[in-house]
Amino acid sequence: MGGKLRRALRRTCSSVFVCGLLAGAVLASHGATLERVRESGVLRWGGDVQGGEPYAFQDPADGDRLIGFEVEIADALARRLGVHAEFVQNDWLTLVPSLERGNVDIVMNGLEITPARRGRVAFTRPYYRFRETLVVRRGDTSIHALADLNGRRVGTLGGSQAHEMLRATPGVEIALYEGVDEPYADLEQGRIDAVLLDHIIAERYGLSRPELAKASDVGEGVYAIAVRPADASLLAAIDAALGGMIADGEIERILKRWKLWSEEQLRLGEGVADVAGPAPARVLDRPQLWLFARATAVTVAISSLAMAVAVAGGLLLSLARRYGGRPLRFAAGVYVEVFRGTPVLLQLYVLYFGLAPVLRLDAFTAAVLGLGLNYAAYEAELYRAGLEAVPVGQTEAALALGMSRRQALRRVVLPQALRVALPGIANDFIALLKDSSLVSVITVVELTKQMTITAVDVRSWLVPGALCAILYLALSYPLSLFARRLERRLVPVPK
Amino acid sequence: MNGEPIIRAHGVGLRLGEQEILRDLDFEIARGEVVAVVGPSGSGKSSLLRGLNYLTPFTSGEVEIAGHRLLPGLSEGRDAELLRSVRTKVGMVFQSFHLFPHLSALANVVEAPQRVLGLPHAEARQRAEELFARVGLSAYADAYPHTLSGGQQQRVAIARALAMRPAALLLDEPTSALDPRLRGEVLSVIADLAGAGQTMIIVTHEIPFARRVAHRALVLVGGSIIESGTAEEIFERPRSEETRRFLGDG
Repeated sequence: MGGKLRRALRRTCSSVFVCGLLAGAVLASHGATLERVRESGVLRWGGDVQGGEPYAFQDPADGDRLIGFEVEIADALARRLGVHAEFVQNDWLTLVPSLERGNVDIVMNGLEITPARRGRVAFTRPYYRFRETLVVRRGDTSIHALADLNGRRVGTLGGSQAHEMLRATPGVEIALYEGVDEPYADLEQGRIDAVLLDHIIAERYGLSRPELAKASDVGEGVYAIAVRPADASLLAAIDAALGGMIADGEIERILKRWKLWSEEQLRLGEGVADVAGPAPARVLDRPQLWLFARATAVTVAISSLAMAVAVAGGLLLSLARRYGGRPLRFAAGVYVEVFRGTPVLLQLYVLYFGLAPVLRLDAFTAAVLGLGLNYAAYEAELYRAGLEAVPVGQTEAALALGMSRRQALRRVVLPQALRVALPGIANDFIALLKDSSLVSVITVVELTKQMTITAVDVRSWLVPGALCAILYLALSYPLSLFARRLERRLVPVPK
Repeated sequence: MNGEPIIRAHGVGLRLGEQEILRDLDFEIARGEVVAVVGPSGSGKSSLLRGLNYLTPFTSGEVEIAGHRLLPGLSEGRDAELLRSVRTKVGMVFQSFHLFPHLSALANVVEAPQRVLGLPHAEARQRAEELFARVGLSAYADAYPHTLSGGQQQRVAIARALAMRPAALLLDEPTSALDPRLRGEVLSVIADLAGAGQTMIIVTHEIPFARRVAHRALVLVGGSIIESGTAEEIFERPRSEETRRFLGDG
């Protein structure tokens, strides 16, 4: 027993060590970036095309080409530095860590100046001034200001300034999205009560929907370019170039081309008052740990319920495939191929967003069903193999004793088939536990999502990442131990 | 043996596609009778036995068994009730035992009386324990099948069939899968049953055993009964040339 525990600990420790190494790489610092940019002739800038129109996105007419007002600003800046700009795709939430790692020289993608970010990166002067716009369903007169959001479910993008503002508003239940269209789709469907996002996004993705309306603007902010704090010379060069673009009207021309110009852009130099975000946490304090505990509970609940769906569904499918008539066999076969042959992420999207007009599931139910229906396909194949491994003589012996076919199946064949399938079931459960992190795309905050949120909060991926890894291991390792014991106890040694 | 027939087969035949496995079988088995079915390999002996409890449905003729009538074309689904009634009255012992590996030896025997006959667990268990004593395995009740020798497993399988108190017991080459040194223990259990008046049909290659235990014998060759009579007649004074040749080989 002691040996087993030590082995478990050693395994856990080495995983944490690896996580640490990965996170440590983030801290790699880069010095004279401006010189390197000039030497290589390339300014690498980070952004996320998922942010969509009009920031930086794929040209609908030419999928290989990026367009957007930020693409034009990047090109103009590079030209003024005597180099050319190269876009580097990055998940929006990890733009800053990516900058710290040295993957990119600058970050420009609707990145707002917030107190939390200012502690990590150096910002150039702003290139755009925006308002935070609160959008509600048309006819909803109960929401006018942030204070009205108490007790409401409000959507936004994770890690954005709007997210910070919502976190500082008491009583708000926040739903986090990764794309700019989905929160407004959910608002229309009634899954959330409001969306708070930058007015550029609100106007293009929210107010274009006839059923949605603007409640009010509840704040403002600025977009600026982020560089590594050590790159003072690069910062100065970009500030100078941006100043030139503002002075000679190039910024205005670009913004006008994208219909983003407004009088308030004349006040770009003024800066804005810091948004009232929550105080940045330096370490994992008690509230953070509480959030982690809650997210762990969500992960456990979703995984367990989804596994129950998968086992029940898989059982029915495997029985249909082995004992059903031709149409039933065919239908079960199609199910297995479709659900096994397409990404679970896609299935979650379809179930939650795609089917919303006809079937409005809440996020938790959609997560359980989505994962469960997907894993049912895998379970079905597992059980089918198990059923086929039971010799036909077993059924005959049961029938010869007078059992009905149903009894023979339930009392004799299934127990043996499930024993054959057991290691695979445990394996699938562990895989499901980890795959449950995918449900964050439909706004469920589970363990991995909580980790990314906390990482942004405490400005480190190291501690939250390690904690997250330990929690997953704490869930999966006992499971595999249990499965191994069960297997030893239940499966008779073959002759 | 009081002559009251428990099993009656009329013109039973089995055709699988082109192949005629059994043809036009007629025979009766009386209560308390022990009948040996002998014949060369592939002559249809197992099919005959499996036809009687409809594990292998025959394709022509009819079987009357323990007061029920079996005809060709019955379905496991539609005629479940009839088949269940027949099978609870006709026990079967297989060549390779087919014990349930996930259940202990005792649970193997308790299962059907409890689940099929609906006996209370305690009663089914008591019945099983008596049978374990009878087949000499009282010490092994809690053992799992894979820990038992072949001879022990087959004795559990016999107990399992007997636990249903069947009117007739069908034994399909019960010792063929066993080492020669393990056959004796199974044969002696069967001989005890015969002595106690259990109706049995035994498909076997053990001619001396059949000669000793069986009252009557059927000789099956190429799917037909070529000869039947008392064990003494068949084994001592076979009339047919083919029987003589077969017995000579055996």
